[in-house]
Amino acid sequence: MSPLRVALAVARKDLRSEWRTREVVPALAQFIILALLIGNFGFQIDSRNATSIAPGILWLALVFAGLVAFGRTFAAEREQASLEAMLMTPASPVAIFAGKAAAASLLLIVCEAVMLPALSLFFGTPFSAQVVAAVLIATVGMAALGCLFAAIVARVRARELLLPLLTLPLWIPFIVAGGQAVQSAMGLPGSYSESISLLIDFDILFLVLTSLAARFVLDE
Amino acid sequence: MSMLVGDGLTHRFGSEPAIDNVDLVLDTGEHMAVLGDNGAGKTTLLRILATALRPTSGKLTIAGLDAFRERRRIRHYLGYVAHAPGLYPALSARENLEFFCDLQDVDRSRVAEAMETVGLASVSHRRAAELSRGMQQRLAIGRAILHDPRLLILDEPDASLGADAADLLAGLMRGRTAVLATHDHALANRLCPRTLVLRHGRSLGTATHLRVVR
Amino acid sequence: MNRYERAAVGAVALMLIAGAAIFFYAPTDYLQGPVQRIFYLHVSSAIAAFGCFAVVLVGGVIYLRNESPAADRFARAGALVGVLFTTVTLVMGMLWAKTVWGAFWVWDARLTSTLVLWIIYAGYLLVRRLADPGRQAARLAAVVGIFGFIDVPVVHFSVTWWRTQHPGPVIINDALPPQMLATFLFTMACTVALAAVMIASRYRIETLVDEREQVFEPAKVLVAREPGGVAGPVQ
Repeated sequence: MSPLRVALAVARKDLRSEWRTREVVPALAQFIILALLIGNFGFQIDSRNATSIAPGILWLALVFAGLVAFGRTFAAEREQASLEAMLMTPASPVAIFAGKAAAASLLLIVCEAVMLPALSLFFGTPFSAQVVAAVLIATVGMAALGCLFAAIVARVRARELLLPLLTLPLWIPFIVAGGQAVQSAMGLPGSYSESISLLIDFDILFLVLTSLAARFVLDE
Repeated sequence: MSMLVGDGLTHRFGSEPAIDNVDLVLDTGEHMAVLGDNGAGKTTLLRILATALRPTSGKLTIAGLDAFRERRRIRHYLGYVAHAPGLYPALSARENLEFFCDLQDVDRSRVAEAMETVGLASVSHRRAAELSRGMQQRLAIGRAILHDPRLLILDEPDASLGADAADLLAGLMRGRTAVLATHDHALANRLCPRTLVLRHGRSLGTATHLRVVR
Repeated sequence: MNRYERAAVGAVALMLIAGAAIFFYAPTDYLQGPVQRIFYLHVSSAIAAFGCFAVVLVGGVIYLRNESPAADRFARAGALVGVLFTTVTLVMGMLWAKTVWGAFWVWDARLTSTLVLWIIYAGYLLVRRLADPGRQAARLAAVVGIFGFIDVPVVHFSVTWWRTQHPGPVIINDALPPQMLATFLFTMACTVALAAVMIASRYRIETLVDEREQVFEPAKVLVAREPGGVAGPVQ
């Protein structure tokens, strides 16, 4: 079977599982709403400083939600046994990885669909296609990296501790460029188009690197 | 013609060897049982034979090919039933098998056949999580034969199977080369002319019609 | 004294000479005063650290290509020594910053990426420690090391870019007078030599540890044994 169809089959399987159990998305959505709430209390937000603080809260919530969402793609023991069964087939490990990463990103994107309107609602910041685009583009690269490192720490002890430690340094470029993109989309100074093109560059760089690295991480 | 040749297979987790310098040879069509207490290294050995684990040292040859370098090719005709079923709980029995048919690049019609063979045809629509342990084990076995493998590696498949385990396994192993790890000496004797006994990771040797005197 | 001990003594002696040069040969900086002398060791440590992480990168790539245990040992040694030198860089930098800028820490590109570097390779060492020793630890760590090395310039670039969006205080670099330059180059050479000696010693230690625990397959001649069957071609 072609790698693309393998990836689609794997993604479809993961999404179908999530649809039937509804474990991840509600928990993540609740978490995100809570994060926004706490942000409000922690930062003393009023109508004047909302636009400068809101992007920070957005990325904070996104990062932690991302760690959870991508962390569990490879985490569960059960998952490890099934992963082994998949690797025993002729299907390419990179395709399997891509399918799982795609499914996990989709779950995160569903949560983003909750978070962005909520952000606008709670903090009065503008909700525009530009903000959405920035978040979506960043999610792609962050998903690839997050899932790769989730696969790495899945085999290792103390994985909950290790995943943020390894992943966050790699996510910094996305947070910097994405934060700038969202800020400029919300009216603060800075170049939106430059931020977006940077995000796309990072996406391409890390997508290529993760697809090269995936087979070393997944297979024996 | 040897299907499987293991030479000095050793695997260490840390500094303790789980299996230590195990040699074995299996000819095409032969059935071999692997016996040993818990912790003797049966699962580790079987994982190595199934190319799911690479030994720390030693060489494994399957059908004349280096088991590690050619593992992609070898897995085309190798079926492995692991200790844990590794099924997707939210998917139905049929959906589980259909997914693996897709990955194996095998026609989906094989699913119905496999379900019949393992006796799960009546519960194909039920979610894997709702199946009993024995049924899950059968489903895992069904998954292992979807692509009609020539070599079967079975890790304690009889553990939850019940009374007709022997018949089911005998049917599966017919015409195939098979390695079966089990605690059940009677089953091993009935199904497998050859037996390899492991103790503390070491092979006590292989024999035909082994009778273990306790 | 074996050759490692001799090399170590030599490297330390060189560092002492460099120290003498820093304090007695190099002139005091007009603007910053005596605290500027931290600069020699601070920048040298940073360069030595980058050199170490380059060793980790190369070791990792070679390991992934052909599973050479030696490459993995170099990577391990490089990571440990590199983290040490990065720590030195950060600490000296903070001491200098407090005296000159009044703050221990500033989020500019260089400090941020140095901190990120430290975190990444501390993570590398943790992965090595926590994974199954041997092939798996080596492979996973190699991937972490490679991604880490690539990430640091990307982070540096991102923060620099971000700073240009939000111009902040600019750090002025004067051209170095010849005596300072000479001192710096000498110190850098000594520090790199020290790092090399440390990596070599650590490599030797790792080799001995590996042999004792036999985590990698010892290099051996394959004995042709016929346990009873003849392997044939695939039918």
